[in-house]
Amino acid sequence: MVDEHKLIELAKSKPDGISNDDIKSAIPDAKIEDIAAAINKFLKNGSFELYQDNGKLLYKYKDPSKKSTAKGSDSEEKIVFRIIEEAGNKGIWIRDIRFKSNLNMTQLNKVLKSLETKKYIKAVKSVSASKKKVYMLYDLEPDSSVTGGAWYQDQDFESEFVDVLSQQCLRFLTEKGEEAKMHGGGPLLARNKSYATANDVHKFISELGISKVRLSVSDIESILYTVVLDNNAERIASGEGFLYRSTNKFLSSVGLVKTTCGVCPIANRCADTGLINPKICEYLTDWLEEN
Amino acid sequence: MSFQIGKLISLILQERFGIIIEKVGNFLFEYGSNPLLYIMRGTELPLGKVKEALCILIKYGLVTFKPNNNENIANYSLCIDNILLMTRYPKFLNLLKKKFGDESEMIIEELLQNSYLSTSDIIVKVAERLKCDVNDLPNVRDKFVSLVVAKYIQRLPTPNEEERPVPILEIKESVLFSLPKIDMKLLSQVYLKKIPKEELGETVFWIVNFDRFHQDMRDKYLVDAFTKKFDENVGEFVKLLLQQMYIRTDPWAETSNPVPLLEIKDIVRKKVIYPNLVTFFDQYVTVIEQDPSQIIRKSGEASGGSFQIQLKEAYNQIAWEIVEQVILEKFDSKAVRIFRLVKLKKFVEPDQIQQLAMIPSKEAKKLSYQLLEENFLKLQELKRPLANNGPIKSFTLFYIDLESIVRNLLELCYKTLYNAMTRKSHEKFINKRIIDKKQRVDAIAMGIQSQGATEEQLADIEDMITPPEREILGKIDRKMKKLNIEELEVDATIFLLQMYLKYQ
Repeated sequence: MVDEHKLIELAKSKPDGISNDDIKSAIPDAKIEDIAAAINKFLKNGSFELYQDNGKLLYKYKDPSKKSTAKGSDSEEKIVFRIIEEAGNKGIWIRDIRFKSNLNMTQLNKVLKSLETKKYIKAVKSVSASKKKVYMLYDLEPDSSVTGGAWYQDQDFESEFVDVLSQQCLRFLTEKGEEAKMHGGGPLLARNKSYATANDVHKFISELGISKVRLSVSDIESILYTVVLDNNAERIASGEGFLYRSTNKFLSSVGLVKTTCGVCPIANRCADTGLINPKICEYLTDWLEEN
Repeated sequence: MSFQIGKLISLILQERFGIIIEKVGNFLFEYGSNPLLYIMRGTELPLGKVKEALCILIKYGLVTFKPNNNENIANYSLCIDNILLMTRYPKFLNLLKKKFGDESEMIIEELLQNSYLSTSDIIVKVAERLKCDVNDLPNVRDKFVSLVVAKYIQRLPTPNEEERPVPILEIKESVLFSLPKIDMKLLSQVYLKKIPKEELGETVFWIVNFDRFHQDMRDKYLVDAFTKKFDENVGEFVKLLLQQMYIRTDPWAETSNPVPLLEIKDIVRKKVIYPNLVTFFDQYVTVIEQDPSQIIRKSGEASGGSFQIQLKEAYNQIAWEIVEQVILEKFDSKAVRIFRLVKLKKFVEPDQIQQLAMIPSKEAKKLSYQLLEENFLKLQELKRPLANNGPIKSFTLFYIDLESIVRNLLELCYKTLYNAMTRKSHEKFINKRIIDKKQRVDAIAMGIQSQGATEEQLADIEDMITPPEREILGKIDRKMKKLNIEELEVDATIFLLQMYLKYQ
């Protein structure tokens, strides 16, 4: 008899597949008939797959737990399951399954539904197109291109999370700037000290523990860019990456925005006559009444 | 020239000069420059009144005239900018008071009130207001002279030599700021009312040079901006840089000529107030020079480095910030983020906005189209040349046209000013009874006080205004103050925006 366990270990170690020669060299004392019997057994229960490469037969190990999912299914389900499996964690769109499997729509729907109820596969909504569903194996973690990365939760963009993060990034930069100023030693030194790299900010954010999701440095870079866009920080190129620093604006709030008319949403409709006019304007009245 | 400015200037004219002048001003605004008879027909006023109104307007520099094709007739046209300037007078006075003190402020105040005055008039009037002694007259004269030298006051253009039906007012640039001889002996005689002032036989009259004030304001806002962005030391540096700029550059040049660093360093050393600037002078210079705003740039290494200040660029950036602030207050910070993204990228596709600004796609779309609706963003559509089949691909790109935004904001500023003024007169109108009563009571109180009334009598008179009335009066007072402050602050915004347009 052949050590079946050994055979499986060998196959596992070579994901590209093992040939008869490999088996012979690994288990030299086994008879060919025994090996053939063992392989046939594995092929039957689905642990092995048979491939042909350049006229050579190759056996590939396949996880029996995965294999077992297709058990008790009919051939259509097996085919569909395989197609979905191939798509990996990026998932596959129902139309592509149809083309690949050559099944008609009603049949395919039935098959997918049955696979879904058996919890072999799941449907995941893609962020790029909200109506597009992709299918993938049940136990796979969807790829970031499908989920949208750290900023998405169930296809929804988590703007609050982004806001909190960008506030914290700004806080970090401001504190750093103030600290540098307190140190003294001249404005140039203070400025140079107030620069922070994305790595610094990343460390700070990770230590804060406000994020349940693991954020990458490039995630932090994009958050920092929003801070720059808000005109609260500047970024300069340095070496490979960027340096960030909180800055002040040139103006404190200008006169126009302190008035009610400057920010009035209906200023365009305001005139001497009509219901909207400065004499009875409620916004003006409220502003004049407050102390 | 917009409809809104027309409404605003008519209100300003009405507030300061009354209805008749307002009517003439309105006509000139609407129909452009026109001869006298047309104005009369258009306004349906009697000839005498029109003449009088034009006289006053010309006197205050609000209307100019030019000979018609027929040289016997003059065409009158309105100086809209000068009318708008009237709201800025308080600012001018404040500026001068801070810089040169009370006497100088009074000189300008007199000039603004009377439009033009002769040398003796100015000195005598200010001396009278100060109630100063004859021996103090030279003091006032010195103040006056220094204002002329500093170009805050200039000579009034006079009719040129040729005899014409319509005189052409002109003045040579060389004598614009040249001082005539001031005979102090005669002047003190006039001050003591011993001789009439006609005996002085003066031919030179003075007016305020607004341009000089605008230079000062421009510098002040710039220094403030730098102080806000960096600290007061940098503010001081910029101030000195601007001060040195005047020596070698035309005041309204877009870029100053290079100013040697050593000059500024020398001045800083002599000043004791900014020890930090002296100690870290070189460091400050490096920081300013390396700032991404790039307003102050190094132009050469000679004599320890020389620097240029980019005035056009400075006001460009200030205009951007104003627009951003307006968007911030109107649509909140996310909209500003989108706006600044478009600014940085020049042309942006809607999809990119959502990704780079980290805003949910729905909100990003909503905000960007709101900005488009209010003309802060513009849309450019690019169509691909038709392929043989398949859908036509087109791109939509957002971009910004700052100048048009600034012009829109200026309109909004004028509207705000107009609204504040309308509201002010409306508040006065609905509370007319109470205000009149207060004035009457005050007059009575003044009257009996001068007759030597007792405290009790005065208190009795005061009591004629009941507590609720007093409360209302206080309220009106507060409202008026608020609206007045608003007018001044909006005017500051107008100035900054106008500076941007001026440098375009």
